[in-house]
Amino acid sequence: MIAALAFYFFAAILIASAVMVVTSRNPVHSVLFLILCFFNASALFLIAGAEFLAMILVIVYVGAVAVLFLFVVMMLDIDFARLREGFQRYAPVGAAVGGVLFLELLMVLGTWRFADDAASLRINPTTPGGISNTAAIGRILYTDYIYLFQASGAVLLVAMLGAIVLTLRDRPGTKRQSVAVQVARDPKLVETRAVALGAGLDTIGIRRPLPPPEPPKKVEHAADHAADHGGHH
Amino acid sequence: MNWTLLLPEIVLGVSGLIAIVAGVIPKRDTTFPVALGVLGAMLLAAVLVIGQGEGTAMGGQYAADAFTRFAKLLVLLGAAGGLVLSLDWNEKEGLSRFEFPVLILFATLGMMVLVSANDLMSLYLGLELMSLALYVMAAFNRDDGRSAEAGLKYFVLGALASGLLLYGASLIYGFSGTTNFDRIADAVDSSAGNLGVVVGLVFVIAGLAFKISAVPFHMWTPDVYEGAPTPVTGFFAAAPKVAGLLLLARVLQGPFAALAPAWQQVIVLASLGSMLLGAFAAIGQTNIKRLMAYSSIGHVGYALMGLAVGSDAGMRGLLLYIAIYLFMNLGAFAVLVAMRRGGRALEGVDDLAGLGRTDPGMALAMAVFMFSMAGIPPLAGFFGKLYVFLAAVQGGYWTLAVVGVLASVVSAYYYLRIIKVMYFDDSAGAMDPRPAGLSVVLAGSGLFTALFFLFPAPILAAAQAAVAALMG
Amino acid sequence: MDAFLATPLGILALTVAKALALLVPLLLAVAYLTWAERKVLALMQLRKGPNVVGPFGLLQPFADALKMLMKETIIPSGASRALFVMAPMITFGLAMIAWAVIPVSDGWAIADINVGVLYLFAISSLGVYGVIVAGWASNSKYAFLGALRSAAQMVSYEVSMGFVIVTVLLCVGSLNLTDVVRAQEHIWFFIPLFPMFVIFFISALAETNRAPFDLPEGESELVAGFFVEYSSLSFGLFFLGEYANMILMSALVTILFLGGWYPPFAIEPLTWIPGPLWFIAKICFCLFVFIWVRATFPRYRYDQLMRLGWKVFLPFSLFWLVLTAAVLKLTGWLPA
Repeated sequence: MIAALAFYFFAAILIASAVMVVTSRNPVHSVLFLILCFFNASALFLIAGAEFLAMILVIVYVGAVAVLFLFVVMMLDIDFARLREGFQRYAPVGAAVGGVLFLELLMVLGTWRFADDAASLRINPTTPGGISNTAAIGRILYTDYIYLFQASGAVLLVAMLGAIVLTLRDRPGTKRQSVAVQVARDPKLVETRAVALGAGLDTIGIRRPLPPPEPPKKVEHAADHAADHGGHH
Repeated sequence: MNWTLLLPEIVLGVSGLIAIVAGVIPKRDTTFPVALGVLGAMLLAAVLVIGQGEGTAMGGQYAADAFTRFAKLLVLLGAAGGLVLSLDWNEKEGLSRFEFPVLILFATLGMMVLVSANDLMSLYLGLELMSLALYVMAAFNRDDGRSAEAGLKYFVLGALASGLLLYGASLIYGFSGTTNFDRIADAVDSSAGNLGVVVGLVFVIAGLAFKISAVPFHMWTPDVYEGAPTPVTGFFAAAPKVAGLLLLARVLQGPFAALAPAWQQVIVLASLGSMLLGAFAAIGQTNIKRLMAYSSIGHVGYALMGLAVGSDAGMRGLLLYIAIYLFMNLGAFAVLVAMRRGGRALEGVDDLAGLGRTDPGMALAMAVFMFSMAGIPPLAGFFGKLYVFLAAVQGGYWTLAVVGVLASVVSAYYYLRIIKVMYFDDSAGAMDPRPAGLSVVLAGSGLFTALFFLFPAPILAAAQAAVAALMG
Repeated sequence: MDAFLATPLGILALTVAKALALLVPLLLAVAYLTWAERKVLALMQLRKGPNVVGPFGLLQPFADALKMLMKETIIPSGASRALFVMAPMITFGLAMIAWAVIPVSDGWAIADINVGVLYLFAISSLGVYGVIVAGWASNSKYAFLGALRSAAQMVSYEVSMGFVIVTVLLCVGSLNLTDVVRAQEHIWFFIPLFPMFVIFFISALAETNRAPFDLPEGESELVAGFFVEYSSLSFGLFFLGEYANMILMSALVTILFLGGWYPPFAIEPLTWIPGPLWFIAKICFCLFVFIWVRATFPRYRYDQLMRLGWKVFLPFSLFWLVLTAAVLKLTGWLPA
């Protein structure tokens, strides 16, 4: 009973915030509603017993993807009035096409029937052999679907490659820090010497000769200068 | 699991990874060695494809048979041709970056995954792998506004098409209960009310029709073909189109063969529209890349005619048409890539003026390709059309055959106009000397197109075997 | 009594009681962490630190809190009001709810869930929202710059943190935090996984926006960064949230690497000390290191920060993950 209540609660918020994503005037609010959507979807996963998926949804979508999304949307100064300019003009056509499609899909839905064993599978988180949900997903993903997994990896690799190709520019004149060069010691410039314990700089003869003594100058307000210095610290 | 069946794909994928690392680590320009390596990997993959066994692997997500072998060899050929076209061009245009061959390689990998797909999920992933690489390649000349626009347009519309395809796939999954092609075939055979599957299939066809730019999903083609760098356009017109058409044939004749009456209507319409649009819209074009875009839409129409007929003869015609189209197209684009005067690339039809006197060899080759595309015997293009028209007539699709013939007549106008410009107009000066790679592509595809009628047997036999494997 | 605790209402009551038992000491600890930070910093810099309010300045946190409460709450005129008010609540709330899964001792967790590690990782990755929303809602350049820096920084360091956590999980074979600690009964993970321990600790510094990675605040150039417009209680919530996050990260380090509630050696005098005390002692040690680092290192430059995250930590943690997996596989130590 509690599970059913929770389901309707989260599902209702999910749909409401999904509507808000589309209708919000401010794009930043849209993204924030999108995040709320993800949260509720994650809660629905939890209710269905898919705890691993629930957490991954939050980590990946809310924790990383939506942050970057928000990042971009906040930086852009989107003028929504202009974006919606064509809306009035195209709305009738769009509504007509959408309406026809909707009717067709309703007809399609008429032929829908559930598979015979669907009812028993619904909201049934048990995995064979009592292994945890996480382990079960891992087994399926890395054995049965390894081909698709690797193909997805290739898709992501190409996406990364493409982003780099299209955006990375080697601007001449940019300063680059090379830590290795900075830290490395040039043996030609530095002389290392073993110094005996207790040996002073004079003993091994590396002290620079003292400058010749200057004739004493008469300094006015010497005491004031000293006080100023002290004041800065 | 039987992963040894996937050896061509594995080899290609691993070489891609190696190429990335090998390309990025040295401090100097590594484009040429990486390109050579990619060509080598493609050659190796082709050899492996020829020696590949048959059957399904990876829990039924991957299939290999004579049809996929035929398709993969064509795809590899088209990709290698596209790469050769781009080598010199990229250097002259200041686009010499090692990522280009790598992108071609991954696009090819995507196409191979695509044509081998035996599951809706592997189909989608192959398609995305291919498309993503193509979007980037279209925008590869990123400092050029047109190229960037082409990339963005292709990406936005391509994403929409992927969405349609996924929506259709989810409907098919929902109503048939599986994503595996073999089991979808069983489900489609057994159940009477397949309305949901049919609607899903229509969405899938729409998504794929976008990728092969069949009417009414062709709007992006002229802009993208015009904006993308010329060798990339050549590659677009060759490999992905071949892969998309063959995949469409495989999906429709494989799992959905039982629904043929339903999808045939859609394909007939797409075929008619593509042929007519390709014929009429190209007439007014002055930019030769746009012209080739419309021409390629028309060719897709002819090829789809074979699919619409649906018989063995029709499928054989389709395969033959695609193979011949690939050669003609690579050759024609080799000429387009070679169009360069004073270091500046040219794109106008008028820029070809006087080519017959300044460069008789290239003009002859271009004439051969244009005659062949127009369908003049005894060149290869004639046979391609002959087989699909014959199949249409045999199958009783008179409308298709008649419209096809009419469209060929109309399109002959603009093909012949190019020949007229080359041989009878006043020259605007000699073109820059063309690099050796282009000459090889030109000579190879020119010889194939001109002499196909002497030795058609090997390709016919391969197409026959592929059809036998597909139609069972 | 037992019968009542089995009813839904009873479970609720018990959970609330547990939460209070954890959160009240936690808030007190937060208050005294601010005191401890000032005291430790002062000692390191040969000063006396707070010593006026109460003996050894022990009442200083309460004086500070009182001062904060008495101030006026200011909402800037161009601000997005709802979000502006919500941001500190997000920060504070997230820092609190993460504690639901922390096992203070064997079986002493409010919710001992199967995917505890992922839960913590998820919550810590949400912390960025408090910052980014605050920065945007303030309608101020400084605040926004701070928020952008923070978003980039936290997302960057989460990646290598994730790999570190995966490495630990490989050695444990479970995502349950109690299991993670139990797996360290014989050897704490910071010994075999020492490089990952270091990476995790440094990433924790970046994740909590602490020195030397406190660029989101950057008081010298951003005049306090994302919370420049905040005052009074809303500022106080940010403050509390930040310090609670420090304690949370220390608890996480303790659980993942320092053997949770276990004593260093299972020998006589050490085993007399109860587990929770060990746990608290380890947290205190980590917090001390947090403060020590602040006293020692100058702030990173932004490009250096990004370089460290993406070009050093990410490849290294990836490499170490693969290495760990290989070693576990080849030696047969992989947990079932």
